[in-house]
Amino acid sequence: MKVKGTDFYWNPILETLPREKLKALQLKKFKRILKWGYDNSKLYRRIYDEAGFHPEDVKTWEDISKVPTIQKNDYLDAQAKEPWPYGDSLCVPLEKVTEYHQTSGTTGQPVYQPDTWQDWELLNEMWAYILYAQGFRNTDRVFIPFGYNVFIAYWQGHYACEKVGCEVVPGGILNTEERLLKIKELKATALMATPTYVLTMADACRTKLKMDPRDLGIKKILCAGEPGANVPTTKARMEEAWNAKVYDHVGGTECGGWSYECIYQPGGVHVNEALCLVELVDIETGEPIEEPNKPGKLIMTLFDRLAQPTIRFDSKDVSMWGEECECGRTFRVLKGGLHGRVDHITKVKGVLFSPVSVEEVVRGMPELGDEYELIVSKKGDADLLTLKVELAPGTGATPETVQPELARQLRLKTNLAYIIEFHEYGSLPRYEVKAKRFKDLRKK
Amino acid sequence: MITAEVNLKEMAGLIADIKEKVEQLMKISGGMQCVDRNCDRILASVKMLEINISDVVEFFD
Repeated sequence: MKVKGTDFYWNPILETLPREKLKALQLKKFKRILKWGYDNSKLYRRIYDEAGFHPEDVKTWEDISKVPTIQKNDYLDAQAKEPWPYGDSLCVPLEKVTEYHQTSGTTGQPVYQPDTWQDWELLNEMWAYILYAQGFRNTDRVFIPFGYNVFIAYWQGHYACEKVGCEVVPGGILNTEERLLKIKELKATALMATPTYVLTMADACRTKLKMDPRDLGIKKILCAGEPGANVPTTKARMEEAWNAKVYDHVGGTECGGWSYECIYQPGGVHVNEALCLVELVDIETGEPIEEPNKPGKLIMTLFDRLAQPTIRFDSKDVSMWGEECECGRTFRVLKGGLHGRVDHITKVKGVLFSPVSVEEVVRGMPELGDEYELIVSKKGDADLLTLKVELAPGTGATPETVQPELARQLRLKTNLAYIIEFHEYGSLPRYEVKAKRFKDLRKK
Repeated sequence: MITAEVNLKEMAGLIADIKEKVEQLMKISGGMQCVDRNCDRILASVKMLEINISDVVEFFD
């Protein structure tokens, strides 16, 4: 058979597989991992038995939605017991586990994540799809300004760079200025970081080193860890600051690097549907959503991870299907990447509110700096929204000139009114990894 | 974009052969770790070839 794009796709067969064949492949792989989980995991067996479900109940594509979902709490309840620390969630003999990682635990106790060497290879393979789709090649020297640790972030970025053939520079131990100088010294061509840190580095380059980040020669930036690279105004700020293409990717501890933006920048991320199944379901009813532009939450299955499988994991991440991409991939696109989490999308003054929409406004105004902070509080029975921003240096703007337009755009975008505070440039918190700009004080 | 002629069935057959050879090597290693551990790594890479190629062969006639 003729295969088109051996130089363009990491796997030109799987990435362009016709949809009906792709769904057949997914069903075959779903059944395989479902049986593995039931046969080898006390946790999955317990959940399925209690629900009166058996893996053989899945015969057609439509049956998949009948499989009970697994929640983060299910892992937590099964863990911290023998075989230590994975307990009933472990599906392989402990001596087969070669990798330990954990979730960040930002919403409570972290989940422990074991992987066999084969699982680890799989996760790196998933990232190879990401890198190749974003134009990373063996001619690239990739700088990773991040210290890898118990969290899964960027480990696969490193190993997948090796797999693709890039030269990878681990810049974890250095501070921001040292990292920038190392990028300059080595003439790195690509960078991986959170959107927050991409902007922080650019700012430090200008203000502390008195250099223009555009002169450093970075041609592409892979973002991960938080929304931003698919917030159009934030992406534009990053691309402008570095004179580089900025690409998004979404991944996580439970599911690995399951999605990627390609060089066509379709306004979202392709789901790697050959290696995992991503279902979009209604947040309230759990009904499957197939049509574009309707928000829902993501239910994730990773097909071939064996030590601790992820089978219909309720990620609580919110997104929506988008339109077909022109790149030729048949993998569907999630429009706008991740929009936030179900538990972050909250009602303020009776209006459904997503903090990411404020970022789009702030980053769209050149008079404002990159940083902001958003606080929801309560005065009596009324919700109060406070937005803290900084004026960008050298624009000549004043709070009086910026405030009316900012308030107008916020009202248009979110249908809400804000108390706007202007702070001195550089005074709001700066972050190296995931930013914590949204604080809901009502929940205390 | 480069277009190439490939034979998926032939590729899948060779992947199966590699797997078989590595498993045979492990069987005669006498438990030498320098053999077994490296074979284990090769088999993990072979699994990636199966995921990328062998798993999809049945969908092409």
